[in-house]
Amino acid sequence: MTDHNNTDTNAMSGDRLVETFPRASLTADSGHVDRLELPAEPAERVPVDTVLGPVLAGSYPHDLFSHQATALDALATGESVAVATSTSSGKTHVYGLQIARQLLDAGVLTADGSRATDRNDAATALCVYPTKALTGDQQEALDELYETLGLDIRVRIYDGDTTGDRREIRENADVVLTNFAGLNVYLEHHDRWSRFYSALDLVAVDESHSYTGIQGMHVAWILRRMKRVADYWGGDPQYVLTSATIGNPGDHSSTLVGEPVTVVDEDGSPRGQRDLVLWNPPPSERHQNETDSTADVPGSSGDLDLTAGRSGPDSGSDPTAGVSGSDDSEAGFVTDRVPASVEAPRVFDHLTAHGVRSLLFCPSRKLTELSVKRAREHHRSNARAYDTASPELAGYNAGLGRQTRHAREQQFKTGALAGLATTSALELGIDIGSLDATVLMGYPGQRQSFWQRIGRAGREGSRSLAVMVADHRTLDQYVVDNPEYLLETDVEDAVVDTSNNSVFATHLLCAADEIAVDETDAGGFAGETRLRAAAQMWREAGFVDGYLEGGVHYCGPGRPQTRVNLYGTNETDYRLQVTDDTDTGRGEPDLDLEPVARNRAYRDYHEGAVRLQNGQQFEVVAVDDDRPQPVVELEPVDRDYYTQTRRTVNVLDATSERQRTVNGFTVHFGHGTVLVHHHSYDQMYVHNSEPKQQAIPTGNPPIPMDTQLCWVEVPDEVETALVRKYQGYGVETGVDPDETDAPHLGYVAGLHAAEHATIQTAPLELRVDKNDLGGLATLVLDTHYTHDGYDELGESVGESMAAATHAIERRAAELSEPPSSGWFVYDGVEGGLGFARAIYEDIESLARRARDQLRDCGCGQPNGCPACTFDENCGNDNQPLLRASAVEVLDQLVGDADRDALAEYLPDDPGGDRRPTVFYA
Amino acid sequence: MAATQALRALTLPSGALRRASRPAVRDALGYFDPHMVVVPGQRDPRAHASAREACPETPVVHPQLGRGGEPVSQYRFRPDTGVREVTDPGETGGEETGGVDILAVQSTDSLARLRRQLETGERRTASGAVTVLVVPDLSVEWDTTTLSTELPGRAELAGLGTALSEPVTVLAGGQQTEYSHEWSLTDDEGQPVSLRMAGLGATGRGGATFAQLTCTPRGTVAAEAVGADRFGLTSLTDVGPATADRLREHGYRTVDELRDAAVSDLAALPGLGRSTAETIHAHAEVIQSGDPLVLTNRAPVKTRNGQPPLCLDIETDGLTPTIIWQFGVYDPVTDRYRAFLQRTDPTDPKPALESFVTWFLAEHADRAVLTWNGEQFDYPCIERFLRQYLPGYLDAWNEVWTYDLYRWAVREGNALLPGRTNKLDHVARALDYDGADTGLTGAQTAAAYQEFMRNPDSEAAEPDWERHKAYCEDDCRALWHVYESIIGARRRDVTDSGSGGARGTQTGLTDFQ
Repeated sequence: MTDHNNTDTNAMSGDRLVETFPRASLTADSGHVDRLELPAEPAERVPVDTVLGPVLAGSYPHDLFSHQATALDALATGESVAVATSTSSGKTHVYGLQIARQLLDAGVLTADGSRATDRNDAATALCVYPTKALTGDQQEALDELYETLGLDIRVRIYDGDTTGDRREIRENADVVLTNFAGLNVYLEHHDRWSRFYSALDLVAVDESHSYTGIQGMHVAWILRRMKRVADYWGGDPQYVLTSATIGNPGDHSSTLVGEPVTVVDEDGSPRGQRDLVLWNPPPSERHQNETDSTADVPGSSGDLDLTAGRSGPDSGSDPTAGVSGSDDSEAGFVTDRVPASVEAPRVFDHLTAHGVRSLLFCPSRKLTELSVKRAREHHRSNARAYDTASPELAGYNAGLGRQTRHAREQQFKTGALAGLATTSALELGIDIGSLDATVLMGYPGQRQSFWQRIGRAGREGSRSLAVMVADHRTLDQYVVDNPEYLLETDVEDAVVDTSNNSVFATHLLCAADEIAVDETDAGGFAGETRLRAAAQMWREAGFVDGYLEGGVHYCGPGRPQTRVNLYGTNETDYRLQVTDDTDTGRGEPDLDLEPVARNRAYRDYHEGAVRLQNGQQFEVVAVDDDRPQPVVELEPVDRDYYTQTRRTVNVLDATSERQRTVNGFTVHFGHGTVLVHHHSYDQMYVHNSEPKQQAIPTGNPPIPMDTQLCWVEVPDEVETALVRKYQGYGVETGVDPDETDAPHLGYVAGLHAAEHATIQTAPLELRVDKNDLGGLATLVLDTHYTHDGYDELGESVGESMAAATHAIERRAAELSEPPSSGWFVYDGVEGGLGFARAIYEDIESLARRARDQLRDCGCGQPNGCPACTFDENCGNDNQPLLRASAVEVLDQLVGDADRDALAEYLPDDPGGDRRPTVFYA
Repeated sequence: MAATQALRALTLPSGALRRASRPAVRDALGYFDPHMVVVPGQRDPRAHASAREACPETPVVHPQLGRGGEPVSQYRFRPDTGVREVTDPGETGGEETGGVDILAVQSTDSLARLRRQLETGERRTASGAVTVLVVPDLSVEWDTTTLSTELPGRAELAGLGTALSEPVTVLAGGQQTEYSHEWSLTDDEGQPVSLRMAGLGATGRGGATFAQLTCTPRGTVAAEAVGADRFGLTSLTDVGPATADRLREHGYRTVDELRDAAVSDLAALPGLGRSTAETIHAHAEVIQSGDPLVLTNRAPVKTRNGQPPLCLDIETDGLTPTIIWQFGVYDPVTDRYRAFLQRTDPTDPKPALESFVTWFLAEHADRAVLTWNGEQFDYPCIERFLRQYLPGYLDAWNEVWTYDLYRWAVREGNALLPGRTNKLDHVARALDYDGADTGLTGAQTAAAYQEFMRNPDSEAAEPDWERHKAYCEDDCRALWHVYESIIGARRRDVTDSGSGGARGTQTGLTDFQ
């Protein structure tokens, strides 16, 4: 992977970019452009012969980077390692060399690199990648390494695309490359892999930061099942996890593999000087003729892109989700900038026209193609500024055929193409040679992803340029306003939670199908109590027979592995299918039509929903959920609108499992029932995101979810003071004038805003898709709790939103003490994902981020704007919201405000008004 | 416990019943010859009527209808008289020696009423043998988020268990027919109550099956589930629903009628063709006559020394075995059966394996081995355990010529067999195999050994070894019976079918005659 060719580069500095860009208003001290210089870092190298034995040291052509040496040393002592260093720092060589060393040590290879025996019963390795494209690329990288080293090592891909003699691979490969969806299935027939598993010495999990949230949970269980199988056949592998920098490489890796892992994150690879330009597009003039006036308002296309909200390789990066914001232009604040999707291709054109080899990262497949067109148009309209012909540019995404992709990779490598407009497909380490600059269309949602993308430019110490063209969204504007955020050392945590029982229960069925589960699995595979409970449940339900004393055997319908859905958690997933008589025109097998969980289906795939999938609009024409696997039927359409749903939420039976006090606030983690009702949807015009038709009923019932919750309880004195301080607020919160008389309005509007902001800024700290989180702000916190005197409401109210609300109101009326106020954040997936727990543990940082965003947003609106408080799915129509009281609550929570300052608002008589039973999602 | 003492209850789930043709239902009744028919699932007067029409002599239990406002109905089974409805529930209690009582409730909600009736003596059962309780809507619910199940009517079921002195077996309408679980419940007084539960198959998911439950007077239940499409015209090779419709349109409603038809008439039907017509006709003949038909020239077994194959069967503790605890080998040359059992330390798979493999390699290494479905189960199991525990014998074992008669006949399509499923005992029975009636199923033998594994030191948990030996021996002998039937079977005149070759037929014949 390491590129050692020092090709001549045509780097352009940030300053020069600003100077030369053909726009009069853009000057060196323009407020819209911020330039940062990141200094070069020299390489730290270790002589190869101090780490590797003579055979490998003699043939490996370089010294090792210090982190490679550290990792290989740790592996030599039997440890597992997580290598978390920058892009192209030679992580592949860590496991590549370890595999070679093991084959030599085991005597499979002789000192001259030839095979001692044809058969390898002694040392095998399994490498797992997040995408098939990366698998192919890494096979080439490993083959190349072994060719350099002169070693006859059989590196084979075994996945859904493998044709030919699969048996030959199982019986003869030294190294098998696959993905987790495949591994999940192959484990069932482990007998056929007995040779491979009996000799398994090393498991490499590449790009391990990809496994967060739902996928992370599944991967953790698949790896535990893999370990049982290896153990059964006598294999005892070490693990190498490679990752771009994540905030918690140690925790994440050891949870993923279920074993202690040594972290190697002292990056020894060199880095050239890097200029970073944060580029906020200029205000758009409403009637100004865009270079491409016929185009969509691109911000909205991301809202519709199925791939955008999904966890996975594309995940976490949801750059255009959110509201593209153009509804409230009366404000003095710039609410309507030129979208990044228009501006970024201009920068891309400018750079490539100056001979700067560049990648433009786009949030959707459609935009890769559109961007090439827009770049050319920019070139044409500014012909006077450029004395060259339009540079050779092309799009790149997984929707293109494999051959086309490969051809474009080669053309870029050879220089025939000056630039590629790509999706995240090129974010991971596919080798396309060296380049000088990256342009990011919008903030990719995660620092981890941000650094991975800009890290593609300027290999081996050469100077490089990165331009992030901001979109008008919460995260983008936060980053532009707070560039230091990017430079902080910690990046987001990847979250893996193995406590979700539903996911565990599914994998237990698989495990019992692979090898009978017995007492020896207690502790290793899962805790004994949990294992017994799950075995009993499945036994009583008729899916397994036997007991842990002896063995639990799967006896249900064939192939329980097919129940595992890496993108969802429960069994009732909705399959998406295009209506029979239509042709999408792409025979692409990895068209992202993964099944979706019910809550997702209800939100995004109700009848009448219009979604964008790979650049094609689809309308949901039918939903058939009266069958074991429900089906959503999509029909290709061409509409001038997209849709977004509105939801109402209630939280019932919240049970606190842990709590801690933070500056007088009580923060809880626990579980409860969340009732979510995606009751209606709006049709929004694509070109300006104005509503076309609103509040169309979805016809779907509410969904009750047992999930994990985190909630914040505001101390009485803070509440009392803030209620009084903000009691004069009315229409400022966004509500209609006839709804302004409630004395609590100003305060509860602040809770509501704080709840929205907490969720919207969560991706700044965690690798989470904000769509997997939800929240509720409430004045009557206690009524949402379980209570000894009451039955569980989740059972009794069933699926009726009105009954739930009524029950909460009744409880509020019965309370003897005034209830507390606060807000909930929940995992929007049955059983929970671990995000609420992570938020509980780190509420201080999150609250600080939320506070900064609310305080610093330039919108000047008391109730905020799409960049700070609005949530497009808010069931309360983003009312009431108030930034000032939200900032004050959060200031109190993080301890940045003086509690005494509130004293002046405290009444002499602490009685106070009886509060209304209000809560807002 | 001999199966002749057992109650045969055929379950025809209402959903499956509605989709099946009348001749298919009659075909199923003829095949199973039940004492009674249960129609679980939705309340469905039409399904009930069609079942009654198909078997006017056999009681059809469909309590969902709640006839005459009474939510409980009662039947009694005696081996000599079959199943009779009990019209005066208060009077039957005296017979201590009587047969099996069958109580059927309209729904789970009616359990409380039944319990009261039994507690007050308003309704009586005989105490000698099991009472079978039919609950047509009962299904176990589970919640993966709390890792727990819910048994609807749990308290009432426990109360019923206490009210009845004899063992109780619950037939739950909404559970799969493969379902079998011994529930440990607690009654109102806190006393433990044990209830055996089996399923009637109205699950609303998966394919439609008919199943016969054989309930012994001791309360054990064994199910024989057969896909509903294995009855009537669709039981024939190459006949799917569309072809069946076409055949019916032209007046062929039963397998019998097809057998009696001329192949040329069938071939003349639109869309059928000569080859399909021949196969359909031949298969109809096989089903009606009970004689297999060989379709090709390939031999099922080749031997090294001219001796017939040894018939092998193994018993394990489940589908993902941790032990092979019985290796059974029948040698047709000596007509002797040899079993290798692991009767002590059930956690150690090595001794029985070692006894078997050393004996086999020493005495019979040159003999071919025959199994039923061994390619899918027995052979990989043996290989897996050898690899794990006695890898030194692996190569020698792999040199043995092993064959799978199921694969040859069914998967490779070399023969048409009578019988409605491809399970060995069903095929053997259809071929008039007169086996030892051990009353066991594979699942039960596995469960018995599991119980032994859990309580290796308990005498009560020790399996009845002779019975299990007899079960395994019976399978080995059944396999030999099927093999012999195939060897002696008619073979299709391949020259006539257009699918083989005249020359091949001639040479092939010598293998069989």
